[in-house]
Amino acid sequence: MPEEAAEHGESLVHVAIKAETLFHLGPIAVTNSMIGTLIATVVLATLAWWASRNNAVVPSRVQSLLEFPLEFLGGIVRAQHATRWRAVLPPVLTIFLLVLVANYVGLLPGVGTIGLHVVEDGHEAVAPIIRPASADLNFTLALALIAFVLFVSWGIRANGLRGYLKETFIANPPYMTPLMTPIHIVSELSRIISLSMRLFGNVFAGEILLAVMLALTFAVVPAIFLGLEMIFGAVQALVFALLTLTYITLATAGHGGGHDEAHESTEHDADDATLRPASAH
Amino acid sequence: MDLTPLAAGLAIGLGALGPGIGLGLGVSKAMEALGRNPEASGALFVPYVLGLALTEAVAIYALVIGLLILFT
Repeated sequence: MPEEAAEHGESLVHVAIKAETLFHLGPIAVTNSMIGTLIATVVLATLAWWASRNNAVVPSRVQSLLEFPLEFLGGIVRAQHATRWRAVLPPVLTIFLLVLVANYVGLLPGVGTIGLHVVEDGHEAVAPIIRPASADLNFTLALALIAFVLFVSWGIRANGLRGYLKETFIANPPYMTPLMTPIHIVSELSRIISLSMRLFGNVFAGEILLAVMLALTFAVVPAIFLGLEMIFGAVQALVFALLTLTYITLATAGHGGGHDEAHESTEHDADDATLRPASAH
Repeated sequence: MDLTPLAAGLAIGLGALGPGIGLGLGVSKAMEALGRNPEASGALFVPYVLGLALTEAVAIYALVIGLLILFT
């Protein structure tokens, strides 16, 4: 029955939920979404190289375009983390730029349409050479795990290991702990799933939407949806970055805990603000 | 009779119902707030986008389930 459904679906558009393996590099299977990620990284690195070579006090057009996300996200981060924004901004901005470029690479002509013939499970199939990175769950899940490690480590940094564990595992009236702790753990872990699934679902659905529109209608109509996808790509990148920022803010806020602990954490924060920029990676 | 496409259609159709209402409520309240206090647009933007994204995620889950029903 599922095979029938798959054939039925493929008659209109080619839909593959998992990324196709193109070739093997030793033990590593190179998939087409890895090529997409590589292209996004190369584009970002080139832009960063160009921007660092040609920066002027009076910015050129391209420079102001490149500075726009920095200023925009910098303002948002600064509004939430008055003291630590220099340390919080780089990871959030990195996530935003990588997701944005990865989403836009997926909209380039030729991506997902130019393919290689590969033999998969015995029968021959066409695998696109480039697959948009965010249309692969591996990419979004990896980003979500990075964001998870990031906000957990920021929470430990801000409140100390004891403070963080106390806040996570012990509810505010202590007798509620058996009820609240499992819920809290599930809600922490569900952030990974919701972050990764949201990005994957949006971009993957966008790819299918474009393919269906291209199959069903003529030249002008898919272009409208292409414009729509450009908006969605930027919005989803922004949402991913903003949610990471929100989770970091929640983790570092430290609403529970005693009076002296709160005092301790503010001192710690001041240390962070001065220490981090030098060792920022 | 193969009911798989029906299951996928119901998954996304029913799954989009709740988020649709939720998004409508969210946007209507944001527009109301903006109409009363147009200077607040800057402060509203981030919570607005985050709220919409969180609401929309529910529909996306339904879509992923629908796609999984249909294509796996």
